[in-house]
Amino acid sequence: MNFNVTPVEAVTREFLAVVLAGFGNELLPLTSEHGEEPCPKALLPIFNKPMLDYPLSWLEQSGIKDVLLICPSSHRAAISHYIHSDSTTTSFASLRIDLQPFDESQDLSSGTCSLLKHFASRIQDDFVLLPCDFIPPPSLPLSKLLNKFRTESATDGAIATTCWFEAQRTGSSPDEWGASFPSPSIVWDEVTGTLLHVDVPDGTDHRGELELRMGLLTSYPRAKLSSKFHDSHVYVCKRAVLDVLLQKHHFDSLREDFFPWLCKIQYQNTKRIKYGHALGALADSISNSISMKHSTLHTNVYAKIKLTTLEPRTSESSPQQSRIGLSMPSSPAESDIDQSITSSLRIGVIIHRAENGFTLRANNLGSYLDVNRHFLTSTSYSLPSEPQKRALIDQKANISSDSAIGDFTRVEEKTSIKRSIVGSHCVIGKMVKIVGCVLLDHCVISDGAKLEGCILGKNTTVGVKAELIRCVTQAGYEVEENGSYRNEKLDVADWAAGPEDSSSDEDDDEDEEEDEEDEDEDESEESET
Amino acid sequence: MAPKSAGKENLMHEEDEVLQAVILADSFNKRFKPLTTHRPRCLLPICNAPMLDWTFESLALAGVQEIFVICRSHADLVKAAIKSSKWSKPNTGLKIVPIVTAKETFSPGDAMRDIYTHGIITSDFVLVTGDLVSNIRIDEVVRAHKERRKTNKDAIMTMVVKESGANHRTRSKGDSSIFVLDAETSECLHYEPVIGYPPKTHASIPREILEEHPEIEIRNDFIDCSIDICSVEVPSLFQDNFDYADIRRDFVHGVLTSDLLMKNIYCYIAKEGYAARVKDTKSYASVSKDILARWTFPLVPDDDHPAGHNYEHLRGNKYIARDNTVSLSRTCKIGNNVLIGSHSQIADNAQVLASVLGQRCKIGAGSVVRDSYLFDGVTIGPNCVIESSIVGAGVHIKEQSQVERGCLIGDGVVVGPRATLMPFERLSRKRSIESDEEDDEDGEDEDDEDEADDEGEEDDDDDDEDDVDSDLEEVEANQDPDSLEYLGKDNNAVIWPRVSLDEDEDVDELEGADNQRLMRIGDSASDLELSDLGSESSDSESDSESSSSDDDFGGSNPSSSVTSLPLSTPTNLVAQADTAAELEFISEVTQSLERAFAEGHSVDNAAVELKTLRMASNVPLRRVREAVVASIVERIKIEESGAPQRQEIGSVIDRWGGLIDKIGGVDAVETVEVLQAHCATSIRLPLFGQILAALYHHDIVEEDDIRKWHSSPSSQGEGIKSAATRENYLKCWTTGAHMIQQFDEQESDEESEGSSSKEGSEEEESEEDDEGDEEDDEDEGDESSES
Repeated sequence: MNFNVTPVEAVTREFLAVVLAGFGNELLPLTSEHGEEPCPKALLPIFNKPMLDYPLSWLEQSGIKDVLLICPSSHRAAISHYIHSDSTTTSFASLRIDLQPFDESQDLSSGTCSLLKHFASRIQDDFVLLPCDFIPPPSLPLSKLLNKFRTESATDGAIATTCWFEAQRTGSSPDEWGASFPSPSIVWDEVTGTLLHVDVPDGTDHRGELELRMGLLTSYPRAKLSSKFHDSHVYVCKRAVLDVLLQKHHFDSLREDFFPWLCKIQYQNTKRIKYGHALGALADSISNSISMKHSTLHTNVYAKIKLTTLEPRTSESSPQQSRIGLSMPSSPAESDIDQSITSSLRIGVIIHRAENGFTLRANNLGSYLDVNRHFLTSTSYSLPSEPQKRALIDQKANISSDSAIGDFTRVEEKTSIKRSIVGSHCVIGKMVKIVGCVLLDHCVISDGAKLEGCILGKNTTVGVKAELIRCVTQAGYEVEENGSYRNEKLDVADWAAGPEDSSSDEDDDEDEEEDEEDEDEDESEESET
Repeated sequence: MAPKSAGKENLMHEEDEVLQAVILADSFNKRFKPLTTHRPRCLLPICNAPMLDWTFESLALAGVQEIFVICRSHADLVKAAIKSSKWSKPNTGLKIVPIVTAKETFSPGDAMRDIYTHGIITSDFVLVTGDLVSNIRIDEVVRAHKERRKTNKDAIMTMVVKESGANHRTRSKGDSSIFVLDAETSECLHYEPVIGYPPKTHASIPREILEEHPEIEIRNDFIDCSIDICSVEVPSLFQDNFDYADIRRDFVHGVLTSDLLMKNIYCYIAKEGYAARVKDTKSYASVSKDILARWTFPLVPDDDHPAGHNYEHLRGNKYIARDNTVSLSRTCKIGNNVLIGSHSQIADNAQVLASVLGQRCKIGAGSVVRDSYLFDGVTIGPNCVIESSIVGAGVHIKEQSQVERGCLIGDGVVVGPRATLMPFERLSRKRSIESDEEDDEDGEDEDDEDEADDEGEEDDDDDDEDDVDSDLEEVEANQDPDSLEYLGKDNNAVIWPRVSLDEDEDVDELEGADNQRLMRIGDSASDLELSDLGSESSDSESDSESSSSDDDFGGSNPSSSVTSLPLSTPTNLVAQADTAAELEFISEVTQSLERAFAEGHSVDNAAVELKTLRMASNVPLRRVREAVVASIVERIKIEESGAPQRQEIGSVIDRWGGLIDKIGGVDAVETVEVLQAHCATSIRLPLFGQILAALYHHDIVEEDDIRKWHSSPSSQGEGIKSAATRENYLKCWTTGAHMIQQFDEQESDEESEGSSSKEGSEEEESEEDDEGDEEDDEDEGDESSES
């Protein structure tokens, strides 16, 4: 009998991936419209690959097949084109991507919660929620999260698993680009990998003090607290979580409102009573708990902690036992192990530390630059081998090995490029100096220009001998000759004299250029601040 | 100092340095009463050796060379105990110096100030309490501390903590703490004391510590061993901050929160070893069990018994005195985890389970001793049952008695035969018997001694009562003869009140009655709602998020019922205590008003005074209103005839009526209710109508208020027990009816009251019940003061 014949499709799908691609208001002006065309954040290149590539290939590696990609309707065409075009370097053959637009304008976007609620009917399974801007390290495959979720949801009723990472920030971006948000403090339990509390700044001023429930501290007596971690916004959730979300009407952002709230269910009994049923606390745990009670391998995690910290060397008799005149060993900890019988409803968390690999979310200008630079450190540039492309690069150009040059980019003589990424189809003149920059596609840099620590949007034109230091430009921006800028965000709006022609000159195979952003939470943050 | 270069000098220096320890041999509380009436807590035996000896042993193990014992209560006894201790013999390498502090030393902080004034500390020292049992290598902690001091002069203290679980039995539920540490260095960044009841709901961690410490541990699983390595500055800090009382809650908290001191405190997390304090009767039991279970090795009964006894360790952690003086009947049953002192006798069919028996104990035939701790010379008659109790030295429990869990029986008590002790009874020997008749073994002389003790330094473990003797006397005076009957005809006992009502209002929550229950031996406190798990939600939710949502489902909110969960006995007692406090408040208000009336204060000034009083005693507004109304009513002179009477009422209300609305809240309906309640029990009942009318004329009460009051069921005296009072209520109500009739006549619209008045009445109804009796007391007070 040939077992291989069994169609793969017969396996019911386990997870649906939900990828949120938003506007990227934190990445302005890179994501502002280029003429009539949007620049979707999801398609902003990181190391010359669209940002969206990273989460999608992460998903693909984990074996997840179904993806629900949610993007603003204005970005739909561009993203759809990208997904379906064969020209993309990686084609996600094994992914079935369902692209769904949502209607909202860039200025006024609704929160991630309502977004998810809106698409709730399309989500019938446990799901993985990802942002389009999470750049996972090789050391953290998605399957690691999935496996943790699988184990914990089956054994003790965890409802979600997420990941927080420690970011190495080089701090290179100037304040003028917008202060990066301080990450919220989190409280988590290292032993069980449980997220306990997210200290969302709530406007009201408990400025001075972080209030923690004693219930939390009793259940998890060795909690850790730190503010150096960032939310990856990757959540593996039970479908039931969505049901609860549907009940909560006033939540806006998943990250700032819903998940911090969800953490509380695990140690607050009243919430547990209210929502436990919806979360399946009873349903699937009873059969499980019976088997768990009889299992010798599985011990409730905190029961185990109690027992192991002071392992009883001998016995003491507890009242009932001694009544019979017997004494059995008993732990000095008063047992309330019946905890293990009910579901924990906890949120698992993987804490990814900096030493385990570089991780970042490219959700603001600073981190966008950092991510790009990070990839430079891990690769070394060599001149293209194809003669056709090779010919575009002048012999006398000086390109350091920690740089990257896109296809069909022309580099003229005596130009030096260091620690920079230059997109495709750019034209770089003579005697240009580019240090620590990211140039998107189709940029034109005239002779003698000097760029340092800049991000240039698509189709940016830099005039002769212009000097830009730590600036960001909107797509299609033109820097005048001898212009000199420092620490500025340059966008078309305040560039009154700009002729519009540059925006339309290019052929349209570049469709993927625009950027947009990702999670709408960024927006909500921004709108709040 | 670098070890190499300065090595030699350093070495010499260190050799010279004597490791000093300070033992606070007073507990500064009275959780062991009445066991501690005749000896200090630190001399109570645990596993048949005084606690102080265990402490000496623990310190000696750690290489301490010089010990100062700070004693206050029963200082003579402590001194004598030190003199006779084996560590006072020459060549032990230990120098023990008792220091008697003033009687006014009420807290560890006072003791520390005393240490400072004595100037005995010359270097880093170990600070422990006199009830410590430990086998932790304190010398290593000291070394770590000194090492740290070399680089950081501000590290003034290292606290030794032991990892356990959040629910470890040795970790007191009633008095634990949360330590917030730097994950790397174990620097203590924040300290939060936790009491068990009322359950603490939140721990507040200052966010600013995150700025300097990237990763922080919040530990709720430490047993605080109360072993502190302190630098010389510590006593002087106590001296500078005279309000520091408790070492943890005041000193540690103060140092960590101070912006000026810039001192650091570190924790030493002991991974190995054992250390615990006997700070209450519950931990007495758990530490005893830990010793028997050999956690404290090498400090175990069969090896290194601090009192020098010799025990044989048998399978199942049974320890029997080795000198062959123990006589065990062939049919008796000795369970596991039992320690039996020498010369003890266990008769036929007796059972001793998980208990400690002192020397010369006799257990009668067929008796059962379970989870109990018997001091020396206890005699238990046949067929008794002793459960989870601590029985003092020389106690005689006669045949067929029952001692339920949690009893504390003071030295020399005799009960039975057929005595029944209720759970958590506390007995001590009757003083009158001691001094008047000559009771068995106690001769006059001993009584005198006792007396001397009592008068002298006996005030012992309590902060607020100075004289145990008077304490005892008071207890005796309040004896309920009926309850003594249960103790058998031969008893010589006095029963201590369940919860001392004399506790001051401001008694700190740690010592609160319910919280103390968590520290009692044998008390599972299962009726107390301890986990804040249950009581959470709503409150927190509503402040952390915009609550609106949470209430839109599942209406009923468990927390409301849980938080107000009535607790059987203790709360009643607390309620009584509250009542007492309120009565006191009322009398003060009365006096204050009296002064105001007499000296003609302005209404505003009187109101300010009232508010202050109310703040001070934290009573509900209604009580204030009651007191004010009562005072004003009593102020009205009773006249013979109608007209002058009306005039009198008018003038009084005119002068003082405004005060009623200035006490901090306006509630005219309540005013009428209160007025009714007062008049119903006063001789001024006939004046009710006129007073009400006067209030109406002065716009203190509006027509609607009267209608509202009138339509409420309580205004008709519903729920009032005494028939006479109810009748009076009815009279008032009828008077009110007349008034309303008049209103109706005046203006003919009357419907308004129907529905709106209902709600108001329902709210008030519940309060109405207890009002009657209180009103009575208050009344008497008023009247007497007036006459």
